[in-house]
Amino acid sequence: MSSQQSTQTPANPHAQAAALLGIAVPDTAKAVEYTCGDCDATVSLKRGEPIRCRSCGHRVLYKQRTNRMVQFEAR
Amino acid sequence: MAGIKEKPKPKPKAAPRGARAQAVQAPAVDKGKAAIRKAAPEVPAPTNGAAEVQIPAPVAAPPQPEEQTKPKTRRRAVTKKKVKDEFSALLEPFYYGKSLTDPINTAQDKWNLLPAFMKTKGLVKQHIDSFNHFAEVDLKKIIAANRVVRSDSDKKFRLEYTDIRIGFPNRQDEDDAGEVPAHLRSTVTPNECRIRDMTYAAPILVDIVYTRGTNRVKRTGVKIGRMPIMLKSNKCTLVGRSDGQMAEAAECPLDPGGYFVVRGQEKVILVQEQLNKNRVIVESAKGIMQASVTSSTHERRTKTYVIQKKGLMYLRHNTLSEEVPIVIVLKALGVRTDKDILLMVAGDDSAYQDSFAVNFEVCAKEKISTQEKALEYVGHRVRLTKRPSARARKYQRDALECLTSVVLPHIPIEKGKLFPKALYVAFMARRVLMAIHDPTLVDDRDYVGNKRLELAGQMLSLLFEDHFKRFNHDFKMSIDKALKRSVRAQAFDAFAHFNVHKNHISQGLERALATGNWSLKRFKMDRAGVTHVLSRLSYISALGMMTRISSQFEKTRKVSGPRALQPSQFGMLCTSDTPEGEACGLVKNLALMTHITTDDDEEPIRQLILRMADEIHNYTGQEMHFQGAYSIFLNGTPLAVTILPKKFLNTFRQLRRKGSISAFTSIHIDHDCYAVHIATDEGRICRPLIIVEKGRPKVTARYLKALRAGNMDFDGFLSRGLVEYVDVNEENDSNIATYEREINQYTTHLEIEPFTILGAVAGLIPYPHHNQSPRNTYQCAMGKQAIGAIAYNQFTRMDTLLYLMVYPQKPMVKTRTIELIKYDKLPAGQNATVAVMSYSGYDIEDALVINKASCERGFGRCQVFKKVPVLLKDHGQNAVDIVDGATIDRRNPTHHALGADGLAEVGETVSQGDAIFMKGTPLDAISSRFSFKPQSYRLADPSYIDKICLTENETSGRTTIKMLTRQTRTPELGDKFSSRHGQKGVVGLIARQEDMPFNDQGITPDIIMNPHGFPSRMTVGKMMELLSGKAGVLNGTLEYGTAFGGSKVQDMADLLLQNGFSYSGKDYLTSGITGEALQFYVFFGPIYYQKLKHMVQDKMHSRARGPRAILTRQPTEGRARDGGLRLGEMERDCLIAYGASQLLLERLMLSSDAHRVDVCEKCGQMGSNGWCRICESEAGIRHLTMPYAAKLLIQELGSMNIKVVIGLEDEFPNDG
Repeated sequence: MSSQQSTQTPANPHAQAAALLGIAVPDTAKAVEYTCGDCDATVSLKRGEPIRCRSCGHRVLYKQRTNRMVQFEAR
Repeated sequence: MAGIKEKPKPKPKAAPRGARAQAVQAPAVDKGKAAIRKAAPEVPAPTNGAAEVQIPAPVAAPPQPEEQTKPKTRRRAVTKKKVKDEFSALLEPFYYGKSLTDPINTAQDKWNLLPAFMKTKGLVKQHIDSFNHFAEVDLKKIIAANRVVRSDSDKKFRLEYTDIRIGFPNRQDEDDAGEVPAHLRSTVTPNECRIRDMTYAAPILVDIVYTRGTNRVKRTGVKIGRMPIMLKSNKCTLVGRSDGQMAEAAECPLDPGGYFVVRGQEKVILVQEQLNKNRVIVESAKGIMQASVTSSTHERRTKTYVIQKKGLMYLRHNTLSEEVPIVIVLKALGVRTDKDILLMVAGDDSAYQDSFAVNFEVCAKEKISTQEKALEYVGHRVRLTKRPSARARKYQRDALECLTSVVLPHIPIEKGKLFPKALYVAFMARRVLMAIHDPTLVDDRDYVGNKRLELAGQMLSLLFEDHFKRFNHDFKMSIDKALKRSVRAQAFDAFAHFNVHKNHISQGLERALATGNWSLKRFKMDRAGVTHVLSRLSYISALGMMTRISSQFEKTRKVSGPRALQPSQFGMLCTSDTPEGEACGLVKNLALMTHITTDDDEEPIRQLILRMADEIHNYTGQEMHFQGAYSIFLNGTPLAVTILPKKFLNTFRQLRRKGSISAFTSIHIDHDCYAVHIATDEGRICRPLIIVEKGRPKVTARYLKALRAGNMDFDGFLSRGLVEYVDVNEENDSNIATYEREINQYTTHLEIEPFTILGAVAGLIPYPHHNQSPRNTYQCAMGKQAIGAIAYNQFTRMDTLLYLMVYPQKPMVKTRTIELIKYDKLPAGQNATVAVMSYSGYDIEDALVINKASCERGFGRCQVFKKVPVLLKDHGQNAVDIVDGATIDRRNPTHHALGADGLAEVGETVSQGDAIFMKGTPLDAISSRFSFKPQSYRLADPSYIDKICLTENETSGRTTIKMLTRQTRTPELGDKFSSRHGQKGVVGLIARQEDMPFNDQGITPDIIMNPHGFPSRMTVGKMMELLSGKAGVLNGTLEYGTAFGGSKVQDMADLLLQNGFSYSGKDYLTSGITGEALQFYVFFGPIYYQKLKHMVQDKMHSRARGPRAILTRQPTEGRARDGGLRLGEMERDCLIAYGASQLLLERLMLSSDAHRVDVCEKCGQMGSNGWCRICESEAGIRHLTMPYAAKLLIQELGSMNIKVVIGLEDEFPNDG
């Protein structure tokens, strides 16, 4: 029993999410650039497109590192 | 070979590892400086000069002339090969510290065989060999046994399998291409399978011939399923790749292989230990003496007993409803006269005859004199599996059938000859008889020679045969159905039906490997937990898992026998590596040089034996048990008789050494039972030994030179009869010298290296022979928890949890094993400078004081990678979860890390509560509207997003996204560290460097260890490690702490002295706090420390308020659920005893599940809202507080028709 304890936190996640963020119909999504895991080519993908490198056909893509500034406080 | 040899010897290197030979050889030079130099090699060594001259004459002399006679072509071929891998040869393990031209001394350099063994066999050869044997031999045997499929509906139909093979690993979508030429082969790699959650598998292809209409159609390369492929097996794409090519496949060249990748998970089939099959085991229990055999054939697995009860002997078997007197069985098996029976069992020994003669009474009583009568007797006691038909049972036929195919099925009955089986039963009876007369002849079940190890290949073979049979059955069913229909539009093609069922085999194999549930209907086998996920905590943990052996014994049984260390496991199973606790002694590990045999063909051996000795069938009972006659058993079955067993054995061994028969055939003499046993079966544990003939080891300097030059490999040693494999039974029948100096005229073998009695994990310990034995066992458990480098491809992996050390170091004090398993290339630990002294009081109970500056410089720093899977559910009807960035609220600070695609940006920091991705769940199937919900980061400590990987799932075609988060951790208070000697401790204080003691060179320790850790633990090895390490640091060398060898303390002390240190390793230190000199000298030097995976950050937990379980309303349990800390029964008892009732009340009620209930005073039942429904009044209602769990209990009891009445009474009755 202890492993399957249900906790008394939010009852219905869907309902809560809807309440929090509303329902959305995502319009045309922005293309995001990924890197192919095999040939390192840049692959620009939109949501719903098949995950595949356009140049080598490899099916593993990695998200590129952010271009935002990342500051590390070395302490 | 010759080329190298004839070269003039260049000057030996400065630190000559090669310089070795006993001090006796160079007594003159042994003093002074030169003597200290010899410290470098681990084996006692003389000076350079001595060794150069002193290659033992008899050994070195012969090669010269022979060299000339070598054919020239051979030499050329060798040189060509050498040019190819000249550079890589320098990196080969057995050149460690030894140059090609260093002199060779057989006594010390024979360990060079070990790396050669490793090179040809690899670290997990047993798994890979077994799988290869399955893929190449067993598979074909299975096909041969299930060759033809016929139809019940159409007698003319026939499908025949002509061949089977496993193709090359590919992706599922490439599967239909069939057999393709080499250059078009799939590019799939195991690492791609890991990342994409695929199964690394290859198509199983068969050639078939079948009937279509009136024609016979032949098809080749028909796929019947997919077989998961073991990494680094012959079928794997990684086999034969150079290190560079391995890197191209994103695979680590040091990875041992031997496991499967199933649904992206690495799965190992652990080695299973079992009692051997088809051999007689004599046991005694409660006054009953019994001989039992577990017969195992492809069709059946049954157990047959011959037991002695109250002086009478019986045969017992599951299919016989009661025990049958042995004499009747033998009569039924066609032994004619009582005298024959008596002689077969008892021979001409009158004592045996006397105790066996009683058994004949039963014949007279039952009036059984002929075989027919005996069969009828047995037939009456046969349990039939099928319902007996209406007609009367034919007892004799039943009995015959039972005796031929059910009792002892592993004895084949050829042409209806029952004699071999009668003989076997007689031998079993004889063993019982002998054991009764001499109780020392009772067998030991725990003797390693009576064990067989079951490996991946055997397990897969069982599974595949089962699935293949089912496949054929399903296929037959479907064609039966189709053939029954008489009207057909076109000619019936069975091939269409053939293809339908191919998924069953693939999925069956995949599921068994993924879940570890082996359920085979044929053998009523239903084993769970056969496969395990390969633990990738560290390189050592993965390696340790590959050598692990699990036993079939129950863990709960309190028997010490199976758990005890067996003398017969010497050199075969590691003496130190076993877990503590319930599985202690039941889970074992292979030693370094063990090999597990695969099945060899029995037939050629049988022919050979029959040529060398007389077949046993030609002998009468009297003759075969005659004084001095030895029976020859092949795999436990009597086959021949010889009166010259020793000569037979020697001839047989000669043939094996010549290579005429398989090297893994074993032969030994059992003088107690007057038997010569020859074994060719699979699963025997064996190891290589150097052959000694006429008091001389066959491996000489010449061969070792050839080995070092690369002209000879381990198989060369084997085929030339210099080295042979010896299994446990043969090992115990041999005289094995540990060192060359111990060889005498009786010696048959020479140990290659004594440290090979330890396994890979225990091999990490320096100077283990100086430690108290349990300490080595503790280290074996802890070495697997050490954080370090995992593999060269560790950063391309996507594991659920990955611990990596930022700056791992190779240990200052190595062992040969460390080099062999290449732990020095993937180390897990750092060389810490340790001061053994007391400091600050924060070091009691094994706590360590560590240097803050060291931590800041990177000591004990590790990275933790955690995988966060993005689970996108399929809701059916094209409604799938999505990840999208459309609903990101840029003003919301928790959304700061998210990128335009709804996934966190790589490199961003995420802290508790931050969104890491935005998941949309479809509201309905049609409108493509989604409700979005961010998934937030849970942990209290922030992480970086390290990597996000997007792939397409192979089977479902859906997107799978995996995120990897990264944390870098420096040591903190409470983190666990351990040396390599089972001495663990937690960080008790991180002291500032300024406050640390320092020596005259200004060196401060990284770790201060309390000296109380030593006296009771008796880990002398740790002190020696410190000494050798310190000497190594000063000398600029890496020292050795190999078991039964290693750098000598004396030499190390000399080195310290030379460098101006105390020979004892103790230094003068100054207190960093007071600046005064410490009043004592401190044992000070480097010790290799491992950081263990138990870190405070993952365990620290506290809570004031938090979630409660719905059912009981009590606080949840466990850190993962932010649970409360339980005040248990014992703590409760303390509070009661102390009388702290208010505290008790607060803990158990107010802080837990206090609940106000309305109780009716009159009826004692609970009401609600001030109203008792039973009394239908509000008069008796009282309010009281009780634990919700108590209220729940009352109600649950009520639901079971148990009434609970709550009795109330006035608390202060006298107050009016």
